[in-house]
Amino acid sequence: MDSVFDELYKKYHHDVFQFLFYMVRNREQAEDLVQEVYIRVFKSYNRFEGKSSEKTWLFSIARNVAIDYFRKQKGWKDRLMEKFDWSTNQLKDDYPIPEEITVQKEEIQWVYKCLEYCNVDQRAVIILRFLQDLSIAETAQALGWTESKVKTTQHRSLKLIKKHMETFYAKEESNIEKVRVER
Amino acid sequence: MKKSEWSDREIEELLRHMPKIQDHRDPRDIYQNLSLKKRKTFPWVLPSIAAAAALFLLIVLGPKLMDGGPKTQYSFDQSSNKKSVEQNIAMKKKDAAQKDYSISKAENYDRMSEGPLKTAIYEDEIGSGKVITYWVPDDQAQNLIPVSTIVQESQNESWLDLFNEHMSQVNEDAWGLSEYYPINAEFKYDEKNQILEVNVPADHQYGQGAANELMFLNIIKKDIASNSDLKKVKLFTDGKPGIEFGNTGIETELIIQPEKNHAYLLYYPNNNETPYLVPTIESFKTIKDAIAAMKKDDPTNGLRKSMLFELSEKDMTIQDNTLHVTMEKNAKMKNDQITLFSFEALLLTAKEFGLEKVMIKNAPIKQIGPFDLSIENKVPIAPNLRNIE
Repeated sequence: MDSVFDELYKKYHHDVFQFLFYMVRNREQAEDLVQEVYIRVFKSYNRFEGKSSEKTWLFSIARNVAIDYFRKQKGWKDRLMEKFDWSTNQLKDDYPIPEEITVQKEEIQWVYKCLEYCNVDQRAVIILRFLQDLSIAETAQALGWTESKVKTTQHRSLKLIKKHMETFYAKEESNIEKVRVER
Repeated sequence: MKKSEWSDREIEELLRHMPKIQDHRDPRDIYQNLSLKKRKTFPWVLPSIAAAAALFLLIVLGPKLMDGGPKTQYSFDQSSNKKSVEQNIAMKKKDAAQKDYSISKAENYDRMSEGPLKTAIYEDEIGSGKVITYWVPDDQAQNLIPVSTIVQESQNESWLDLFNEHMSQVNEDAWGLSEYYPINAEFKYDEKNQILEVNVPADHQYGQGAANELMFLNIIKKDIASNSDLKKVKLFTDGKPGIEFGNTGIETELIIQPEKNHAYLLYYPNNNETPYLVPTIESFKTIKDAIAAMKKDDPTNGLRKSMLFELSEKDMTIQDNTLHVTMEKNAKMKNDQITLFSFEALLLTAKEFGLEKVMIKNAPIKQIGPFDLSIENKVPIAPNLRNIE
């Protein structure tokens, strides 16, 4: 096996995989995409200048792979329609909730569902900052943004998640109420 | 505990507790898949190979498609004629086209060459050469067409030597006929008994199917009848007597009878404007009957009428091996290719009945191509001259 691959695998594979998993919210897709990441890494490994850390470099590639994947998902028809129809700006996915999440407590499940409402940038920031424990500076490097953009995006996404968490809670409450009334 | 309100910090905390997702696959598998995918880095290779193949096919098949069937060629000729020929002549052409499709075709041919050309082989053309006739099936394998060629004879070669020698040069494709020669058999002459031996290899295909065996036997018979005066042929398979045919069983010998008393009609091969003069399968009792048959198309065999002269039915006599026919009063005759074909068909039919010369009386014109109608014309040696190289 390639020594470069071996090293990258040992150090970063699971992080990259987890990042892609939460981005596309599907195990099979994540498995395919992580391959694509390796292919792109090998193509441009010689050009890696060491300006950023290997880890942030890998994440930036993984993010591009994910974005390309979302673009491919939408056919040219959808893309054309999107130009005219601004109400469907959200990127939605129809995959069922993965098994790893369903065994968790309810609040975790809610958070996972809330992530669906975030757009690609917001999701990337959330994953990098909280799931991968990257610093603001590292996140900015991986995404190629300024630190302040990272901060505002992070703030907005947290707010968005909070909002949707509350609606989930409200729904849950009303369900319980209904059950009580019916009794 | 569930809450109705969360702080940023609590959300962050929840996010941090999201389950860690791991890739369960073996790194070796992942690497192997990688190298598989790496190879697919030239997505243009397959399409370009396909494109090259398509281009190749186009080059190979293109010219054939361009030639098309006989229809396309015909229409092309017509349109080009209309443009090039004066209106006056075009009017005449229209009349001719109404009369007969084949006539207009032959007229095209006429204009393309310098003047009407004869197609059979005559005594004065042979010189020191020898005439060999091959009977070739047409492209529907319906008629056998005698194609003759003049070959130069080198020391003491018999007709059989020449026949064998030039068999492989028969160019059926270029003539618009079916591929048949060289015959997959060995022809040997037994001088003692004056018998020709035909020996086919053990794996010969000539016995498969009624049409196949009939054609083989007919071609052998006709080839030998028109090139020699042999009476008998013995058949062998791989040196052993007899050839097995599916329908007729084992045949050991053929009796050759001279081909006689047929009428000559015209056959137009596809893609070809020059017709062949072809003897009918049927034979006739008298030359009058034969000439009557020449005035009608034979659609079942794909043959067209060859006799365009308005000959008087009564004034048809034979004197000193010469056929005397008389044109009707006011009959028209043009010095063109189709008329020449007609005249040659008459000569060949006369030859079928053992005649040597033909005289047309009362002819409105004096000359058809190279033939002087004011004198008796000799019948040809063999029909349908084609060159073999």
